[in-house]
Amino acid sequence: MTPLKYQILCSLLFLFSGHLFAQTAISGVIKDSKGEALPAANIYIEGSYDGTSSNMEGFFRLETSETGERILCIEYIGYAKIRREITLGGSEADLGAIEMSEQFNELTAVTITAGTFEAGDQKKSIALSSLDMVTADGSSGDVYGALQALPGTTTVGESGKLFVKGGDSRESKTFIDGTLVYVPYSSSSPNTSVRGRFSPFMFSGMMFSTGGYSAEYGQALSSVLSLKTNAMEVQDQLNISLLTVGAELGGTKSWDHASLTSSLAYYNLKPYMHVVPQYTRWEKEPQSLAGDLSFRLKTGKSGMLKVYGTLNRSSLTTLEESLNHPGNIFHYKLVNDNQFINASWNGEIRKDWILSTGFSYTSNQDRISIDSTGYNESLLGTHTKVVLKHKASEYLRLMAGVEWYASTVGMEYPRAEAEQYNSYRNHTLASFLEAEIYATSRFVTRAGSRFEYSDYLKRSSVAPRISAAYKLSDKSQLSLSYGWFFQDPDQRFLLQTSSLNFERANHYTLNFLINGEGRVLHSELYYKQYLNLVKYGVYNGQIYNNINNEGHGYAYGLDLFWRDKKSISNGEYWISYSFIESKRDYLDYPHLAMHNYTSRHNLTVVYKHWFDGLRSQLGVNYSIASPRYYNDPNSSTFNGEKSLPYNSLSANWSYLLRQHIIIYATVSNLLGSEQQFGYQYASIPDEDGIYHGEAIGPSAKRWILVGCFITLSRDRKLNQLDKIN
Amino acid sequence: MKRTTLLLGALLITTLVMGGNDRYIEKMRETLQLFAGCSTPEDYQDLANRFRVIANVESDEWLPLYYEAQCYILMGFTGQLENELRDSYLDKASALIDKMLAMAPNEAEVYVMKSFYHTGYLVVNPPQRAMSATPLIHEAIARALAMEPDNPRALFLRLSNEMGTASYFGEDTSPYCDQAAALLREWDNYELESPIHPNWGKQEVEGIVKSCGE
Repeated sequence: MTPLKYQILCSLLFLFSGHLFAQTAISGVIKDSKGEALPAANIYIEGSYDGTSSNMEGFFRLETSETGERILCIEYIGYAKIRREITLGGSEADLGAIEMSEQFNELTAVTITAGTFEAGDQKKSIALSSLDMVTADGSSGDVYGALQALPGTTTVGESGKLFVKGGDSRESKTFIDGTLVYVPYSSSSPNTSVRGRFSPFMFSGMMFSTGGYSAEYGQALSSVLSLKTNAMEVQDQLNISLLTVGAELGGTKSWDHASLTSSLAYYNLKPYMHVVPQYTRWEKEPQSLAGDLSFRLKTGKSGMLKVYGTLNRSSLTTLEESLNHPGNIFHYKLVNDNQFINASWNGEIRKDWILSTGFSYTSNQDRISIDSTGYNESLLGTHTKVVLKHKASEYLRLMAGVEWYASTVGMEYPRAEAEQYNSYRNHTLASFLEAEIYATSRFVTRAGSRFEYSDYLKRSSVAPRISAAYKLSDKSQLSLSYGWFFQDPDQRFLLQTSSLNFERANHYTLNFLINGEGRVLHSELYYKQYLNLVKYGVYNGQIYNNINNEGHGYAYGLDLFWRDKKSISNGEYWISYSFIESKRDYLDYPHLAMHNYTSRHNLTVVYKHWFDGLRSQLGVNYSIASPRYYNDPNSSTFNGEKSLPYNSLSANWSYLLRQHIIIYATVSNLLGSEQQFGYQYASIPDEDGIYHGEAIGPSAKRWILVGCFITLSRDRKLNQLDKIN
Repeated sequence: MKRTTLLLGALLITTLVMGGNDRYIEKMRETLQLFAGCSTPEDYQDLANRFRVIANVESDEWLPLYYEAQCYILMGFTGQLENELRDSYLDKASALIDKMLAMAPNEAEVYVMKSFYHTGYLVVNPPQRAMSATPLIHEAIARALAMEPDNPRALFLRLSNEMGTASYFGEDTSPYCDQAAALLREWDNYELESPIHPNWGKQEVEGIVKSCGE
């Protein structure tokens, strides 16, 4: 290079150096609050292209040609962004250690888990998914059957309903999209198991609380099941289900902002019951016809309108033997008509303000004939609810709501000598307020209160509830909860009198949860105190004598739930165990006694295995429960007799034949164990002074179901082939 | 020497002349080249960071968001990581896609990325998520194809989904091989709007064609 050229070059470089070479190098080390290095954090000068990432040790060195007062930004997933003013003057700047603080993250923040099982396709769900609901056990797609594989519940074979922590099935309430389902179960003849009215496929999320629930839920002493229906459907499709007991046809039409689904189902158990032997003597096997319609509409940016309606008629007739007059056979005929409508709108009305409104309507009628006599039970109920939720800050969430329950319950004896109709109407106004306060992302307190007024009872109640959770480590947490719960007395008493008070329960729950990757341990200790339970002297078949609110009781126990999705490849299992001690002095009990719907020990083991080559899933469920107590009027001890222990091994097989065809089969009580749920006795003794008794058992030794589920979508492959070629 | 002078001169001129948009395109081109060297989640995080910096400056452009989302989805596919972490990457991608959908609602490529996101979401836990995610995967591709029937990436994703399903159910995959070959032949006929518009997928289709030939 000649000196001249060199000089020119140098001067040129000098000329542009301001632009080109006034490099400032900024360095530092990014760490979290515990001093651990954060690798691959993003460090850049705001408004410029100059940026870099930290290395494995958290170290970064950023060279920039920017000058003057600028802002240095540091970002890392899950941590609060840092913006720091910096003067760039062309020299080295070592910022040393820079600490980033963890951002409040709803996914990793502590949540109150006392008494709660959440399920669904959401990330946080730990207990069951909707799919588990369908395949978990011998429940054949019954929501309530599947929940009986969770701790805190007792399997009561002759009922099929939910019995939670020493509570009666009446003390559990079901809500769909926030509003009450007055009659969540199908109707059946006495001592036969019922099923839930809704298919698990309808729901994308579930919250099952066995105690200590939010002030949002009332009129339930024991438990709340809150189901969230699916969002808008995005694909047109046709669903066909063919089962050994019936068929279902459904279709979905979807638009940009709306979808409509409708289905029709017909079930008739006659052919099935002719093939599979039954204990129950059927005059006319159960059959039902149901139709439903579901509509979804997106409104505005975040709003969603959901409307669901269903109509259902079912009927059956059995032949029963009279206990009072052995040898006397009578016909028991049941016709049930049920209509249910649920509408809800949910959306953000302005930033951080969410409004949820809901309305439900239930009409249910059971027409029962016993030979030439009979009675009709009817219920008409509505529930209207408005809830406003406000996120005041990341650390404070508020919720307030108003509810209106209106119901009419009727009991009619159309064929009695003097036609009789008994009914009552009850309106309940409720309101609630609740705050969730995060002291840090590790510690949360939820405090709320609920007010209810019933115009039939002319009583009001105030139910305070408080719970707190503390995260002990990334994977474990402790929750505590305490609250008061109120519920109207059973309708059979309210039909007779309005001079009763609410029944009441106080819940104390302590929960310890470990939720590691793929493994969950949920353990819970609880104590429940029952107050103001309805008690009466004698029931003469028509009138409850000396009816009052002086009943009381208690329940305490331990619930354990362990689920492991990790240890076995292609397999997972869960173990659920409950211990419960529960006594009551209510109804016509002479003293405090163990009631007949609780087993002291309940154990359920579920195992599922996915066979990839066979495209099949095998599910096995084993349940065992210690004997339940029942009362033998021939004995001097009240509720002193024990039934046989319950045990059942069931299995199911799902086979993915094609992407859109699933074959499913399930068998309950594979081993054919003898099942006995207790005894029932005649109300009058025979000539020898003995009350004639009979064991209560299942209606058949086994339940077997085979089905084929077909989904046809409009994604026609042939058309798509044409497009490419 | 001459060479050094020329080079320096060129550098000076580019620096001087290059204004707003060209600088953006150049920066994007430069960053896009880094895709080739990425393999670990850390590599993709670093690349996502770079796109983030560009997106911060070019707040009207959807392409930096697009590539940033792509990085996070690819991170979400990393099977060795804990599911919670994979989900946190996918959440990041989902937020970016929502932002893009608001900015460029008529871009087929945005829906292609949306479909890719739902695939990533499904893959984290197929037994639990297949039922809810599958229709969303199909729907996003259908939307992309309705906007641009010849979009090669949308066609590729659909093809690979269908082919995967067919082979899982032991069906004949040869029709898909023909489709893949046809798609590859047509691939370069698709005109890119700019040098920094999405241009990935060809290699993957070549892979399908190659595996078909074996």
